[in-house]
Amino acid sequence: MVHLIEIENYSWQYLNTPQEALKNINLKIEQGSFVGIIGPNGAGKTTLAYSMDGLIPGQYRGLKHGVVKIRGIEVEEYPRGRLQQMVGMVFSDPEAQFTAMTVEDELVFGMENLGMSLPEIRERLEWVTELTELKHLLLKPPYEISGGQKQRVALAAVLAMTPEVLILDEPTSMLDPVSRKRVFEVLQKLKQSQNTVIVIEHSLENLIPLADRMILLADGEIALDAETGEFFQRLDLLLEKGISPPGAMRFFYELTQKNLYHGRLPLTVDEAAALLRGAA
Amino acid sequence: MNTQTPFIRVSNLNYQYPDGTHALWDINLEIYEGEFIAFIGQNGSGKTTLSKCLNGLFKPTSGDVIVEDLNSKTSSIVQMVRRVGYVFQNPDHQLFNNNCWDEIAYGPRNIQLPEEQVKERVEEAAQVVGLPERYFSEHPFFLSKGLRQRVAIASILALRPKLIIVDEPTTGQDARQSFEIMDFLKDLNENHGHIIVIITHDMPIVAAYARRVVAMGQGRILADGPTAEVFKQTELLAQTFLEPPQITQLAQRVQDLGYDPGTLTVESMVAQHIALRARRDNP
Repeated sequence: MVHLIEIENYSWQYLNTPQEALKNINLKIEQGSFVGIIGPNGAGKTTLAYSMDGLIPGQYRGLKHGVVKIRGIEVEEYPRGRLQQMVGMVFSDPEAQFTAMTVEDELVFGMENLGMSLPEIRERLEWVTELTELKHLLLKPPYEISGGQKQRVALAAVLAMTPEVLILDEPTSMLDPVSRKRVFEVLQKLKQSQNTVIVIEHSLENLIPLADRMILLADGEIALDAETGEFFQRLDLLLEKGISPPGAMRFFYELTQKNLYHGRLPLTVDEAAALLRGAA
Repeated sequence: MNTQTPFIRVSNLNYQYPDGTHALWDINLEIYEGEFIAFIGQNGSGKTTLSKCLNGLFKPTSGDVIVEDLNSKTSSIVQMVRRVGYVFQNPDHQLFNNNCWDEIAYGPRNIQLPEEQVKERVEEAAQVVGLPERYFSEHPFFLSKGLRQRVAIASILALRPKLIIVDEPTTGQDARQSFEIMDFLKDLNENHGHIIVIITHDMPIVAAYARRVVAMGQGRILADGPTAEVFKQTELLAQTFLEPPQITQLAQRVQDLGYDPGTLTVESMVAQHIALRARRDNP
């Protein structure tokens, strides 16, 4: 079976740097899965994302070993632009990707570039503004809207091109809790409609309920790769690598350490509250 | 009630931007020696505007900001910044010199201190933030984000303000870096006599470090008190679209089992759990 993304024995070292940014990565991602990637700053998360949409090795110089395939074809084999159509990237700094003077132009830009017909552009614009709740902002300059709205515009602009995989690099790091929730609500809808989504994120509380699978990167290597529930049973490893787990989970971990609890660590406040009631 | 004289007294402060946006409404606030305060609230709630009124960058439209013996309306920015320092959310928005030394020296030079005093202050500030000497001649932009933030804080420290306001100190940092920065601010607070105000969305950080919380919404102060007391007001927090940290939410959900709804840390939750178990096992 051909996986949507297939990475084998992959290493990457940026030119003029002393060590590899990614070392011996092996990873297969299936269509329709929702994957969370976490790890300390400098672990190689963004490098991995760039490697999946061809920005590496296309736009960066360095040494590559191993194979990165999308739909069974190596990233280098794709004609320029084709891969970026399949793999949509949303950057952590939305302004980095803005080019137009209105939100509407911003959203249409990518579609026009793909040579879509006017009726199709209209239809997709309608769909994407509905999904991300941006209709009332279409005529505004992207520079005058709030951080959360900018982040949704960046996401919508990429979604409009209906990529097969969507990669988000810390999409909510600059946002307040409300705006953050709204971005995750959009991701929830994408998950429901079977999109393949890969999210790099520090905010675990929002990510955990959505992710089917979690990957921990540390020092350029995959330190842990497992189904979300299983992943967090390895809290000792996560803590060692500097990950700060949500409070409810850490509480049960501390109880386990003190021999006061034996069992699976809860993933959410709901699960934790139910466990405490069960024990009482 | 606090009987000390406040370091800052804000009374009936209103602030309107030149375009007419009314950003602050009737703010009353006193800040005392030794405090570690968090300003919380969603984007646009007035936290940053209030901070810029505290350091005199913005003058009140009406009402007063009194810092020690100075009224911000009649004081120069030079007088104010020696008392209240403001560290930008993005250190890159305030770093503009070609090397770290000049960056940190910029403030003291700007208030026209003689060069030997400038040197003394730069060295002191660099030492407090833990910036090794080998970085003095480096361009700030070649430093890591964590180090750039330290340079940004050092450049404020060099003016020796009593109160330091740090806007979003942990944004974009991973867990380890966040704790490092916060431990550093805690050290400034406990061992160097600085009053610290942080502006943040990170509730676990607030719970772990701030002793007082000022919650803002739509330009007003909605709650102001000890951290645990403010986090107990869940309905009010919900109005401002904020949630207490997850461990506090958990304690509130099982409050009927005897947990304190004002629980702030995992450690305290564990201690309560042990006490509750002991009580249950030996009634």
